[in-house]
Amino acid sequence: MRAAPDAAPLETQRRPDEPPRLEAATPIEGAAVGVRRLADPPIVGFAGFLDGIQRSRVLAYHGSVPLVHGAVAAAVRVREGRRLRTWDAPRVTQALYAPIGALDPVFAAALVARVTVRDTDAAPGSHPQEFTARALTAVQRARERAEVALADAWIAREPSPLLIDGGISGAGDAARHPNAVGAVKSHRTLYVQGDSLGVVLGLREGERTTAVELSSPRRERVATWYLRLRGAGERAPFFGLVRVEVARQGHTEDELTARADLVSRWLLAERAPVALPDPRWDVMVYGIHECEQYLSAIL
Amino acid sequence: MSDAPGVLASAVPATPPIGRVVATERRPNTPHEFHFWTALDAPVGIGTIVHVEPERPVGGVLPRIFGVVTEGFSYTDLQSPLHDVLGADGEPGAASLAPTERTEIRLYTAAVLRHVPEEPLQPVPMGRVHLASEADVQTALRMDTYVQGEDRRGIPVGLYRAGGTQAAVHLDADFLLGPEAAHLSISGVSGLATKTSAVEWLLASIFAHFPSKKGRVAAVCFNVKGPDLCFLDQPAAALADEDRAMYATLGVPAEPFADVRYFAPWTARGTQLATLRSNDALQDNVQPLTWGLRETLQYAEVLLNKDDVDAKADALIDFIKERVLDQVFSDAVLERAHEVRSFTDLEQWFRDLLRALEAKNSEVWRTHHIATIRKVRNRLTNISTRCKGLVTDDGSVSDLPFGSFTDRTVYVVDVANLEEDAQDLVFARIVSQLREHLERRQLGVEHVVVFVDELNKYAPAEGADTYVRKMLLDIAERGRYLGLVLFGAQQFRSQVHRRVVGNSGTTLYGRMDPDELATPGYQTLAPATKARLATLEKGQLMVRHPHFGQPIFVRFPRPAVLSGREGVERFPQAEELSLDAAITKALRRLDPSVTLGWVQDTLALGGDDEDEVLRARNRTLQARPDDVKAYFKAQLRKRVVAERGERRGPTPLRVPPRDDPYG
Repeated sequence: MRAAPDAAPLETQRRPDEPPRLEAATPIEGAAVGVRRLADPPIVGFAGFLDGIQRSRVLAYHGSVPLVHGAVAAAVRVREGRRLRTWDAPRVTQALYAPIGALDPVFAAALVARVTVRDTDAAPGSHPQEFTARALTAVQRARERAEVALADAWIAREPSPLLIDGGISGAGDAARHPNAVGAVKSHRTLYVQGDSLGVVLGLREGERTTAVELSSPRRERVATWYLRLRGAGERAPFFGLVRVEVARQGHTEDELTARADLVSRWLLAERAPVALPDPRWDVMVYGIHECEQYLSAIL
Repeated sequence: MSDAPGVLASAVPATPPIGRVVATERRPNTPHEFHFWTALDAPVGIGTIVHVEPERPVGGVLPRIFGVVTEGFSYTDLQSPLHDVLGADGEPGAASLAPTERTEIRLYTAAVLRHVPEEPLQPVPMGRVHLASEADVQTALRMDTYVQGEDRRGIPVGLYRAGGTQAAVHLDADFLLGPEAAHLSISGVSGLATKTSAVEWLLASIFAHFPSKKGRVAAVCFNVKGPDLCFLDQPAAALADEDRAMYATLGVPAEPFADVRYFAPWTARGTQLATLRSNDALQDNVQPLTWGLRETLQYAEVLLNKDDVDAKADALIDFIKERVLDQVFSDAVLERAHEVRSFTDLEQWFRDLLRALEAKNSEVWRTHHIATIRKVRNRLTNISTRCKGLVTDDGSVSDLPFGSFTDRTVYVVDVANLEEDAQDLVFARIVSQLREHLERRQLGVEHVVVFVDELNKYAPAEGADTYVRKMLLDIAERGRYLGLVLFGAQQFRSQVHRRVVGNSGTTLYGRMDPDELATPGYQTLAPATKARLATLEKGQLMVRHPHFGQPIFVRFPRPAVLSGREGVERFPQAEELSLDAAITKALRRLDPSVTLGWVQDTLALGGDDEDEVLRARNRTLQARPDDVKAYFKAQLRKRVVAERGERRGPTPLRVPPRDDPYG
């Protein structure tokens, strides 16, 4: 076995999961995607902020098989008296990620006996990068599970809205609960087509699109819309643009409009304090930024 | 209790932690300094004493580290102020409307006061930080070695208060009054630093706590301005409950000084004492301070300008001191033998000598040139004019009771109304006398605290090397062996000679001037400590003491004595009296049967030579005879009889001629 003491985190070596694309979605607030300016001012609505982080790196190689150490953490930071503190307890797990079938059986048995090993299930003789890619995916799944578990715990015990970093469609119970709101910062997939793209990219500060429905066989149905948190001006068209996800449950169109407006106002209220120096500060609310800082400190 | 072997039971703090030690590569902990963070609402500030509870024993013993907070930092996760501007859209008011406050830290730096055990001396380890308890304060300041047990010798200087902890802070008498170290220096801006109040409080504390087995102690205080020290025997106009509670906690009676004696020279006119304590109700313990030629000439150096009086003049002055003063002096050139005991005698001696030299047209007498003789005559006889009221022409002396000082007594010498030269003379002579009597163990007490305000005037950092400064340097460096202890107060410590302040074992600081704090003498203080010093409230002090590893902030109670300002309101100054009334007032202190009428009748017999009458009064006061009236009359009679011989009878009326029609 060869140690890999200086191996860089796998997250920094990661290549884009998928190419940028446009995907059609069904309008559920009007017949087509349109612009809606929020008439009422921002209002504070979120009580907590949920985020998760992961770290993984190759610890050593057994032959050509990398042994990846992965650590994940998720936490909810709850707001009390304008200050944030940790709700319940952070979910922190770490394990060794390796394709057990590709390892020498004696070595694998010794490894499993001593540390927690997650099998990445790669076939023997695969490309070494295939092993690390699978490990990275497994770590990512572990992080998502930690986030989902925490989100479920929140909605089971707390009566107040929770802002989750990222989408909620894969979030189990939370995806069906009105107190869970997801904010998606990256837009490799844009849920618009045709003229609607111009509508999204042309949003001005404080404007949102009308909602569309996302559905897939493996995910919960959610309502989603785009919201411009900060004016783009001469900047890139995605500056300040977030996609909001809420549970899609039996809303009439008016109810959906009212809810989308309210949730958008909640998000607009979180623009200050600004999340600088995070490079994604234009789309990241401070509560999520602070949660990330907290997780970085404990992991 | 921890199960770790050898862990001290007392190491387990009773209070919950208020912080945690942190260290980074850029800001590491050292054996003398550490850093810790606290919750935002933790009751920690500059000067708070804390106690670190490490997590790992060293050599089987859990060490204990005590520190005092010297610096504080607060910051958020904001990297640039510009980010906050962006977040608030340039509207300051909008920033406070943000639903979430930024993550913020309170980070403190503490200077180590003590490691227990002292060895091995290691950098402060990570651990929980607790507010120091009362017992912790004792340990942290090493007071446990002298406030308990048989050799108890703690002198309370004030109360340490922080985070709900209140603890008495004691000075070690051996390091305040000798012999290990001695002297005290107190600095601060006038009016706000409460320097005089602090010294009054500390003297009361010394009198209450100085162990009798270490000897008797007294204080000599020079009142150099206004009525500051004029009412030390009178109770304070009002003492707040908080002050009374502090007195009770510190074990000092909230009462004025029981034994105070005042000394002041006469006014230039000589009818009353030159002090603001002149109210008739307060005269029982006020005495004149007057010196004659012998007492003055001994310290002539103080009054004579070195640039003016050269070696030749010095030689003549020494000759007078050794060969002329207090003895019968004869010389062929003189008309008669002289017995010089007063300035008047000295003037007659000079006059006789110069007349003889002029008559003989001689320029030299006993190797002394006539010009030198004239110069010395001018300078010496001028002293009684410059120090009128203090120095008497006739040689009468009223002095401090050197040799019969009493335990726990304050002797106040009021020189506030004297000229600067005369103040120097008083200071030099009294301190020298104290020193000489202490050297011979004949003062009456074994320890004397000499309190001098405006020390920068007497021992300046720069300027000529005066007699007074040399004397103060000597006391500062050797006084502790004698029991002669200097308590000096000044606005600016940097303006006092460094050997004087450097030898002060204990240093107190009240509210300080920021410019003074910028001088090199304060470089060792952290900026936050300086900031606190510049804003100290009245009644707060920063204390340096040999046992304390770092300066400590304390509070002290308001003195239980009447302040100068209140004193002059309650006891207004007596009006300047006529000669008759002044004599009556003075003599009535010795004999209450003396009346104004008797004095007027007596003086009427003797004419109106005011100086002679005052001399007679002085002699009477000095002698304190059984029959005051007879003695006073006898003093006058000498002059009266002499004058009667010369007095002509009343001029008879002229009888007009009988034939004068206009007669």
